[in-house]
Amino acid sequence: MSIAVGAERPVAAPNVAEDLLRVEGLRVVFPTSAGGSRTVLRGIDLSVRPGEIMGLVGESGAGKTTLARSILGAPPVPGRVAGGRVVFRGRDILALPEKQLRRLRGHRLAIVVPNPRGELNPTVRIGDQIATMASVHLGLDRKAAKARALAMLRAVQIPDPERRMNAYPHELSGGMAQRAVIAIALICDPAFVISDDATSGLDVTVQAQILDLLRKLAAEHGSAMLFITRDVGITAHFCDRVAVLYNGEIMEVADRNALFLAPAHPYTLLLLAAFSHNPGLRQGWSVPASTPPSPAACIYSGRCPLAQPLCRDEKPPLAELGPGHAVRCHFPVRR
Amino acid sequence: MRILRYLLHRLAFVLPQLLGIVLVSFLLVKSIPGDPAVLMLGPTATPDAISSLRGQMGLDQPLYKQFILYVDHLLHGDLGTSWQTTRPVLDDLLQRFPATLELVTFSLVVAIVVGLWLGIASALRPNGWIGRLTDIYGLSAGALPDFWFALVLIFVFYTLAHWAPAPLGRLDIAVLAPEPVTGFMTIDTLLAGDMEAFRSAVSHLILPVLTLGLINAGPIMKMTQSSMEKMLASDASRYEVLCGIPQRLVTRHALRNALPSIVTIVSVLYGYLIGGAVLVEIVFSWGGAGQYAVQGVLNSDIYPVLGFVLFSAIFSLIVYIVVDLVYVLVDPRISY
Amino acid sequence: MMSALRFFGRALLIRPRFAVGHVIVVLVVLAALLAPFVAPYSPVEANSNDFLQPPSHAHLFGTDAVGMDIFSRAITAPRIDLTIAILGTLLSSVVGTAIGALVGFYSVGRGPKVWLSFAVMRAADVLQAFPIFVFAIALVAALGQSIQTVVLAIAFVNMPIYLRLMRSQVLGIRAMRYVEAAKVAGVSDTTTIRRHIIPNAIAPVLAQLSVNVGWGILLTSALSFVGAGVRAPTPEWGSMIAMGFQNVVTGQWWPSVFPGLSLAVTVFGFSLVGASIEMLSDPAGRQTLAQDMERRGARMAARQVIKAGI
Repeated sequence: MSIAVGAERPVAAPNVAEDLLRVEGLRVVFPTSAGGSRTVLRGIDLSVRPGEIMGLVGESGAGKTTLARSILGAPPVPGRVAGGRVVFRGRDILALPEKQLRRLRGHRLAIVVPNPRGELNPTVRIGDQIATMASVHLGLDRKAAKARALAMLRAVQIPDPERRMNAYPHELSGGMAQRAVIAIALICDPAFVISDDATSGLDVTVQAQILDLLRKLAAEHGSAMLFITRDVGITAHFCDRVAVLYNGEIMEVADRNALFLAPAHPYTLLLLAAFSHNPGLRQGWSVPASTPPSPAACIYSGRCPLAQPLCRDEKPPLAELGPGHAVRCHFPVRR
Repeated sequence: MRILRYLLHRLAFVLPQLLGIVLVSFLLVKSIPGDPAVLMLGPTATPDAISSLRGQMGLDQPLYKQFILYVDHLLHGDLGTSWQTTRPVLDDLLQRFPATLELVTFSLVVAIVVGLWLGIASALRPNGWIGRLTDIYGLSAGALPDFWFALVLIFVFYTLAHWAPAPLGRLDIAVLAPEPVTGFMTIDTLLAGDMEAFRSAVSHLILPVLTLGLINAGPIMKMTQSSMEKMLASDASRYEVLCGIPQRLVTRHALRNALPSIVTIVSVLYGYLIGGAVLVEIVFSWGGAGQYAVQGVLNSDIYPVLGFVLFSAIFSLIVYIVVDLVYVLVDPRISY
Repeated sequence: MMSALRFFGRALLIRPRFAVGHVIVVLVVLAALLAPFVAPYSPVEANSNDFLQPPSHAHLFGTDAVGMDIFSRAITAPRIDLTIAILGTLLSSVVGTAIGALVGFYSVGRGPKVWLSFAVMRAADVLQAFPIFVFAIALVAALGQSIQTVVLAIAFVNMPIYLRLMRSQVLGIRAMRYVEAAKVAGVSDTTTIRRHIIPNAIAPVLAQLSVNVGWGILLTSALSFVGAGVRAPTPEWGSMIAMGFQNVVTGQWWPSVFPGLSLAVTVFGFSLVGASIEMLSDPAGRQTLAQDMERRGARMAARQVIKAGI
């Protein structure tokens, strides 16, 4: 699969060319009731290589869902993209007209959403919702689309798939609905899948099953994945690389091993420490993001235990620390 | 089986309500001054003749006995006799109610088409010109007196342009009415294969239907707009957008989810229009049930009024029950 | 208080249609008050030499079939229409709100008061199941045709609206802490309703008032149109439209069109005022308005800067 992707690759610098999807300086703002605007994503840089599982971890309110939906060109209402690009296979998809963008969404770039029973259309049968994807994006006729949907339901291991084809969302359990949403995401063999906190709200055992399934199917379909979660622990098992998001900025990006064995950002350290000591924190942990002293300051300086005067005067760039390891800190922790 | 239980449950609530409606309207029309016996026999009648007729009509009985008598007759399908037409009210109503129903049904279709179209269009672009038009239309349609709007239409399309026929009834005077089968003039003329009469019936329908349809599209439009806006902003619609479903399909699904509230307002409007079309019936000399009832009130002819109130209450009831059954078809989450 | 007034003024500025509504209502009220002094002719005097004159300088809206000046009649009409509609609306709102508050307060639990509340609601169901116009006309016929009975008919027909509105409001407020607290503190039911419930539930009723005055005018004119309301020659829009009916068919449009237009514009104005009250009394509506004001303010400031620069 990755070879096929490589064939389309534009001529560019070698490390950039390997990327399937690249987010460059993405900024998203929300208008506020006072008539001003609030910046939720402050220039996100992120890249995902073909076939890779890229983790993105952050607390509630860090901007995870906004990022997930903005990559697809549809930030949550009333947000809007204020700058930056999302380059998919060498093309800036945010610059595409809405119609072309819609043809990519769900087809080449798909998303797995959390709380699927609220997201699935309550009055359309599950089988029809899945089949619609195939008929809309792949141009299959009704019968072929249905057959493919059934095969997909089987692939996501929903018990008794023939019967579930005719079920309505409210008749499914949370785990089954989650599997249905995965079926919707993968039915068109997307090159890139975003999993937005897909396992939150499920039992731990179901969670593990869904994760296994997601990884297995992504590998089978040759899809790369951006795996967004609140749970650092999951990324350790699940991802090839991990990025840490804090208050709309990427704080650290590294290979899984580098991040867990040699975290360099004070925030990453805190995150790992909190999780290893208190498993209860895994669900919905959040500390109010304190505002930085000034726009010029490091976004984390208000909360950072290691902050120096420089951190309040100057915002650090996301700087290369080692091969594939970048950190946004003036004073990265070294071992 | 569940539907049967639902119907029984529904009837248990509705029968007392119907009885209440009959009681209130009975007391109301009974207190209208004027002695039907005197009115029927005319000013030259002898006191003996009047008192014997009063005895015949049960007017010399105490009020509660008269009511019991009336309900008893009702249960036997006897709605009393109109002294103006000297015919049983049931026959009169069966003849006139379809006229009202035809007018109201076509008007409702116009109101639904206009209301749905404007409502959906403005929900898709709330800040565009169509959103503004919808706001202004919603506010001004409710402000127009229908009897005056009907007059304006008559002036423009009959007096000035000669496009519409004279506002006198359901057919041209020269056209022979077909044998009544459904009571709907458009359908009966088609059944009789009389195309000239059919054209005449349609041309007589146009102005009153436009009047009622355009004025009453407002509530449907507002409900469509607000529930479509809600549905298009819902998680389900946002998810469909994220999945790259074309906007046409997203809109269709949203409409389906918005349908229950739209159907509710349509059903309320249907019941309301049966009585609400009265003034337009009068302006166009429609000869419908509402006009019949108003003439009854103005001439102390009580049984037509009672009969009309009863007919329209029962009609609303049937509409509501049908709507409840439609919900079950539209929304899989509901079950009775 | 001052800031609330200023907010209201700025709201009219950014929502021109609200301003239009208020201007219409003020004009209609002024017409009702000043008609005797500004009407060029007597509104009830027939002039057989001057009948069915089209609009001209002498007769702005023309004259009707018996030679009465339509402009004078149209601006005098709100004296009757508005009075009837306002009285009917006030009556229905006061009675409906009071009953609705009681019914809402006693709608949970057991006891004779709760049973009574239930009975009242079912009675309201019955009332609302009637075809409104036939009910109103029968009421007028039963009580005798007069202005008072038209007022009563309007009050009666609209009462269930206030009853339901107030009841649903009270049901929401009843469950609040402070009501529970008042109960625990031994405050009597009547005091609780008067002091704690009605003041907190009244806003939507106020928004409904203006809309209902519009409906009241419509119903008054409709009753008069069929001859069951105000009788000619008393200037009243509905009966004027009825008088001009035959003339319209033969081509003299002005005897019906002008009174109808006055009527429609008036009702439109009252609906707009109702819509503005609804938006201003709703926190979400106020927020939307505040946002639009900010945006407009920013745009104006930017425009001034640009102008100054050039």
